[in-house]
Amino acid sequence: MFLTVTLSLLEGFLGTLKLFILTLVLALPLGLFISFGSMSKLAVIRGPVRFVIWIIRGTPLMLQLLIIYYGPGIFMGLNVWGSDTTGRFTAALVAFVINYACYFSEIFRGGIQSIPVGQYEAGAVLGMTRRQIFNKIILLQVIKRIVPPISNEVITLVKDTSLARVIAVYEIIWNGQAFIKSSGIIWPLFYTGAFYLIFSGLLTFVFGYIEKKLSYFR
Amino acid sequence: MPILEVRDLKKNFDKTEVLKGISFDLEEGEAISIIGSSGSGKTTLLRCLNFLETADEGTISVRGECLFDGAHPVTDAEKLRRMRLHFGLVFQQFNLFPQYTALENVTLAPLLASGGADRGAIIDNGKQLLDQMGLYDRMDNYPHQLSGGQQQRVAIARALALKPDILCFDEPTSALDPELTGEVLKVIRNLAEKKTTMIIVTHEMAFARDVADKAIFMDGGVILEQGPAKELINNPRQERTRQFLSGLAK
Repeated sequence: MFLTVTLSLLEGFLGTLKLFILTLVLALPLGLFISFGSMSKLAVIRGPVRFVIWIIRGTPLMLQLLIIYYGPGIFMGLNVWGSDTTGRFTAALVAFVINYACYFSEIFRGGIQSIPVGQYEAGAVLGMTRRQIFNKIILLQVIKRIVPPISNEVITLVKDTSLARVIAVYEIIWNGQAFIKSSGIIWPLFYTGAFYLIFSGLLTFVFGYIEKKLSYFR
Repeated sequence: MPILEVRDLKKNFDKTEVLKGISFDLEEGEAISIIGSSGSGKTTLLRCLNFLETADEGTISVRGECLFDGAHPVTDAEKLRRMRLHFGLVFQQFNLFPQYTALENVTLAPLLASGGADRGAIIDNGKQLLDQMGLYDRMDNYPHQLSGGQQQRVAIARALALKPDILCFDEPTSALDPELTGEVLKVIRNLAEKKTTMIIVTHEMAFARDVADKAIFMDGGVILEQGPAKELINNPRQERTRQFLSGLAK
């Protein structure tokens, strides 16, 4: 039984992992893009961007999942997600990417704005272009400062993936819970905790390594 | 012909007039010190010369070429970038790049400008400049491993690496402990002996007097008095200058 459960949970964990990785890969660059919008000198860009960030950070992710999955059908009569598992997964991914991009954007904004203006000015008086200043001077300093808060957010994401089951996206908790109905046992559900723990332990290690790698400067 | 001609430079921040019409000349190989109390506009003047601030009125000419005219301010980023190359600026707070070693701080901008060509020559030049600053054995250190005085000397080498026409110093020793001030002043003194064209904003009166050829006393956004440094600081003509200088002596 233990082996059967482990295999089933591993399979569910693959779903978790897929959602986790795709969310990260898409939300990190989108978050950087949104952070530029939220720092724009133009109020017509900054205003709406900050409004969206407020909405996304101010409402539960679970609600956002439901609205993104059911919303188009209910409000516009559109069947954008189809009716198979791929469609549900895509809907979940869209909700996760938007949600996490907004959180990441605020971390990026904080990181970018924490760099002293003197760093930009030093680059400017040395005849560097704005792009060179950002890429060669600012970026690495920002990365160093945002590693701890990003690491926090990423570990939260590992656990948040379990919310996807509200729109029936198969992931590890879904598979663990299935054993309650099929075999009348609850321990597989508790056992899923071990998977989360091992994975977030691994991530903690990776982020610790990055932090150490960047400790050569202050 | 003077290497730098500044004419009637004016700058307002909102409704505060910070520069109310600044005019002065600087000859090649000369050092000029700018003294005056805080808020007199000294730093704003340097920032306008380095185009970190855009003056509202007036002109700035280098070697007879009008670089800046308040009537037609330059907004093009590339033009602005090239204008800045005429000037070097050493900041009060050093502003070294923390993720680069001393040598990398010095060579970063020249390497970017050359697009990778002359790499060897640029690095050799960087080493030579650090040697000149007495930092040859420190070139592989990161800024946080250096004392304030050493950091400021790296910053001076960094500014010199681009061979600016005019090197500006914005209170280069104000952020330093008194015991570290001397080593930075010594380096600037050496540059003056080598006839480096410099504008030095400083509160070190003895230094301003001994190192600079000319001195400018600024007060409330205007130049109240200018002349040979020794004369201005030893025997100021204006009552306000005397008041300022005697206030420091106390």
